[in-house]
This record gives sequence, structure tokens and C-alpha cells, in this order.
Amino acid sequence: MKAPAFDYVRPASLDEAQALLAGSDGAKLLAGGQSLGPMLNLRLARPALLVDISRLDVLTEIGEAPEAWRIGAGVTHARLEDLGDRLAGAAMVGTVARGIAYRSVRTRGTIGGSIAHADPAADWPLALVALGASIEIRTHDDTRVQPAERFVRAAFTTDLAADEIVNAVVVPKRSAQARTGYFKFCRKAGEYPLVSAAVVLDRPSGFARIVMGALPSGPTALPDLAETVLTGGAAAATETIVETAVAAAVPGLDPVALRMRASAVRRAILQAYA
Amino acid sequence: MTHVTLTVNGETIAADLAPRTSLADLLRERLRLTGTHLGCEHGICGACTVLIDDAPARACIVLAVSCDGQAVRTIEGFDDDPVMAELRSAFSREHALQCGFCTPGMLIAGRDLALRLPDAAPETVRHELSGNLCRCTGYAGIVRAVTSVAAGEAAARARSAPPAAPPAFPAVAAPAVGASAAGATPVPSSAVSASTAVAPDLADAPAPPAGWTRFEETFSIARPPATVWAALCDFPMVASCVPGAELIEHGADHVRGRLVVAVGPIKAAFAGSAKIVRDETRRIGRVQGAGSDKASGSRSRAEATFRVEPESRDGSRVVLVVDYVLQGTLAQVSRSGVAQEIGRRLVATFAANLDAALAGDTAPARTPAALDAKALLWASLKAWLGRLLGRSRG
Repeated sequence: MKAPAFDYVRPASLDEAQALLAGSDGAKLLAGGQSLGPMLNLRLARPALLVDISRLDVLTEIGEAPEAWRIGAGVTHARLEDLGDRLAGAAMVGTVARGIAYRSVRTRGTIGGSIAHADPAADWPLALVALGASIEIRTHDDTRVQPAERFVRAAFTTDLAADEIVNAVVVPKRSAQARTGYFKFCRKAGEYPLVSAAVVLDRPSGFARIVMGALPSGPTALPDLAETVLTGGAAAATETIVETAVAAAVPGLDPVALRMRASAVRRAILQAYA
Repeated sequence: MTHVTLTVNGETIAADLAPRTSLADLLRERLRLTGTHLGCEHGICGACTVLIDDAPARACIVLAVSCDGQAVRTIEGFDDDPVMAELRSAFSREHALQCGFCTPGMLIAGRDLALRLPDAAPETVRHELSGNLCRCTGYAGIVRAVTSVAAGEAAARARSAPPAAPPAFPAVAAPAVGASAAGATPVPSSAVSASTAVAPDLADAPAPPAGWTRFEETFSIARPPATVWAALCDFPMVASCVPGAELIEHGADHVRGRLVVAVGPIKAAFAGSAKIVRDETRRIGRVQGAGSDKASGSRSRAEATFRVEPESRDGSRVVLVVDYVLQGTLAQVSRSGVAQEIGRRLVATFAANLDAALAGDTAPARTPAALDAKALLWASLKAWLGRLLGRSRG
């Protein structure tokens, strides 16, 4: 249970980090290390070089624009948890952060690291897609912005090129009437969920997303159900309607898995209207 | 070796360390601070919880070199801490420990909780302590002890230190938010690749043993069944089409080889062997194999049945049923059907390579690259496109 040997560098800037990534075969970024750390110890990951960006101040800023929050990629879950509802218009961010693993993991794990790792069962890939967030990516000579749903391609697979770094996550603010729900079913508190679902409904802007998590191909949206619920409210989300929508989006689920997924979606909807 | 300087319980420590050294190993092996216990060594049990710059963290999954310049506090460093003193008494009073293995982690996590959450209810305490495992006490005494200290005087005094004024958020220019954020652009729906098998009547694929996982795939090759069958029975040809596969040795009905699978940060190199039984007339093959990845201590056994059928004019359809079981560390991280998804993508890439090889236009590389991020990206793009087209047709 000891990590394999690797080289380690803590660069002083993102430029330096990118040069290291580009110049080394088998280089891997280390952010909070709360997913990579266990994988190293289990020897499932065997990078030649770890480039530690966990303490680059430039990645830990939180900025506010009129329409959105810009959360630096290196901001920890614990910091977002402690902000609670101070992220006006995006309070679900605090709720989601509070439910990630355990405090001693949240103090180090980062939002950018989580989305770049793209564990299918992790919270941020699901929540950020539901929130309509975008990922700000530092390319080798520029910055590009990718909607979260196009950033996460599948399990552990993202849109990032080898020398690209997630700079920040941009979460749009929703109106005061926005309704949000987030539900996950975990065998044990803090463990990865078996099923999860997130709901963001904002009538004034017409934004409606209901998204399922913990699927091997990444976050999966239920756009028709979201429209139905946006106009019809929680009453429109009957067990039958939700189950039909889930079954159509994820064919081949056995009855138990279907029921679990549909229940998670329905509970997230009911939470949004609670 | 990397040189680090950090403080541990107030004392400055300088050391040259191999980068892979965990903070826990530095504390225990070099500094002999054995109060930091190592249980699971992969961030599950919480026994190794310490404070790094006053925030609780798991010392087993923190690299010691990444703590350069930081202040670490272990269970040995709380002698004069009033909240910890109260917590120690409460643990004793409430029988909150038996063997004591989890206690250092429990105490540090419990103290952090008491400082953060005044008057936490027992349910909150249970939830907050869920990252620290205890195998003796049933938690009841631990929860009582921590609950009492969270409501106690020492914690209240420690909290009454003037809170830092909440920082104002710097204003930033309105960030480009990307097209989707403005409205409800639908996300590609559906999770399963378009090629999921249409309930093949594989009476020839026996029911999988209990605990095994099955996935079924169907793919089409634009060549006659006899050609496809011959190709599938040709080990070098098959190996050249499986991404990450390497043929070591083979006979008429057995094969030995290696398969490298890379997904995100995970990389596993399975070495193994398989036997094959063929029904030439019905064009059905059954493969039984087993392999292991020594580095991660993962093992897999699999049985696959494949059948080649005629399809349209001069084309073939291959129906594949794979039953497998994955054990060891890889199984631990293979949640949410990730292993099946990797299997599907392997099959999809294999089918594309075989199609190309038989068409003769692109000879597959003799040593094909491992199923890497790019191949995965391509496979998922293809699956996504398939779903998109399927949807627009439907």
C-alpha cells in the first residue's frame, strides 16, 4: 500500500506547470490528491512525474461577476462548504460541497481536480452540468471555455489535452425563484454514491436541467422531464413519468437499478419543491 | 530525493525524502510519532487523521514533500490543548474507545468538529464522524463524547477567538460562460452505446456464475461470415486489433498475452492466458481466460462467447457475450459500471480495427497503443454521435 516511485515538482507558476506537462511523458497534475493519492497507494496510477499545483495562489481565487461566480480550480470543497449560501444565486455549490466525502478529504480536495479527474460517481461532474457551469481551461497559449457537459466525456475522460490545466469553474447565477435539488444514495455516508441526481429549475430564465450521475458514460440529462417539471411543478413528476424518462435515457437497466435511479431523480425534484 | 522543511508539533524538521513518502510514513518511520495510526492506507478509515495548517487531513494520502513549509500537528501535539483535554476525559468517561486503534483519528476529527459546529446534534456528529471507522465501540460512546465536547465550555472559548471578517470577493469581468449556460441546451441523453445487443438468443452462452458481470455487444463487419470467422480464429489478427493487446505465445486452441488498459490516471497491465473452443459449423466460439495485474494486485477471469452470423448481403454480424469477474484493487475503484464501459469501448475499438484490417485499407499497427484517453474520447464521441443520430431519427 505504498505508492510507486515517481518524480515530484512543485512549480511556482502555471506556465512552469504547463511546460513540465508538455515536456514529460507520464506527467500528471496533482491538485488536492484525494483521488489520485489512493490510486497511487493502490498502484493503479503510476505516473513518472507529479506536478503539484495544489498551492498555486492563482488557482484559489473566488471572483464575482454580475452574472456568474468564477471559482478557481484549486478552491477546496471545505472552503465552498464554509461559504454556505454566500455564493448568492449559486447556493447549491455550498450544499454539494458539504456532502462530498468527509471533512478531512474536503479540506484538500479541489473543485478543479474533481472535474478534471471525472470520476463518474463524483459530485462535481454531476452538479456542474446541472448548474449549467462552464470550465475555464488554460491551453498552451490561450484560455478556452467549455460547457461542463461537453467537458466530461465519459468515466475518467475529459476534454483536456495533455498540457492543458483547468483554470476555474464558472457558475452562472440563477434568479431568486430558482429551485434546486440534489440527492445521492450512498451505502455509507461520504462514500461514492450508487445513484445520484441533480435538479436546477429557474422559471424566469427558462433554464431547466435534471441530470443523473454515477453512470459510466458521465452525467446524463433528462431534458424532456426537466421541461415537464419546469411547467408542471413537482406534481408533474409522478413515479411513472420519472421512471419512464430514466428508462428511456438509460436503456437496459434491471428493475432494481431503474427504481433506484428513478427514486434519486424524484427525490431531487421533490427536494427542489420542498 | 526532495528536500523539505516543515514543522511537526511546533518543531522544525528538515529531511531529504523520496517523493512517494507519505506524510504518515514520515511521521511514523522517521520521526517515530507512532500515534498516527495506519489502517487502510488509502484514505478510507481515518485512523491517520492529522492537522495540516490547522485543517484535518489524512496523512496516508498526503505526500510528505507537498507539506514543505507547512505546520503539521499530530495526536502527540495536543498536550496543552484545552479542547483536546476535555475530549480525552469525555472519551474516557463515555467508554469511547476499546482497542484504541481509531482513537487518534477520532480525537483529531472530533476536536475539529467541536470547533466548527457548536452544539452539534448527535445525528450531525454521527454524520461528520462517518469518515473515521471504529470496529469496537459501535460508535455510541464516541458520539456521546464528541457531542458533549461540542456543547462544552472549552470548545466555546476556543471558538470565541475573534472570527476573521469574511473576505469580499474580488469582482471579475463577466466571464464568458459558454453557450449552454444561457439557456437549457439539452445535454446528450442516454448512457449506453448504440450498439448494445438486441437480446441475442445465446442459448450457447451459459448463465454466468454468481457474482460475475455480463455485457453483450453486437457489431457488424462488411465481410462475409466465413472471412470474419477465420479472422476471429486467428490469434495474431485478433491481438493486432485489440487496443493495448500483445500476443506472447499461442497454439491452435490456447493463447498467452498481455493487455494494457489506461483510463484516466488508472493504468493496468494484465498478463494472462486463455483457451478457446470452436464450433466451426455454427461459427460459435467460447473463450475462457484469466489474467492479473501484478503491480496493482488485480485479477480478472472472463468467459466470452462469440457468434458470427450473416447480415445483409456479404456482411456479418458478430454477437459477443462477455461474463467477467474483477477482483483486487481495480475492482475497488471500478464503481458505476466503469469496467463494463471499458469493455464496451474495447469491443467498439476492436470492431473498428477488425473492419479496417479486413477491408485492407488500413492495416492495424502490430503493437496497437493501449486504450488511451484519445481512443476513449473517440469511442465516446462515436457513441454520442450514434445516440444523437439515433435520437433524431426516432
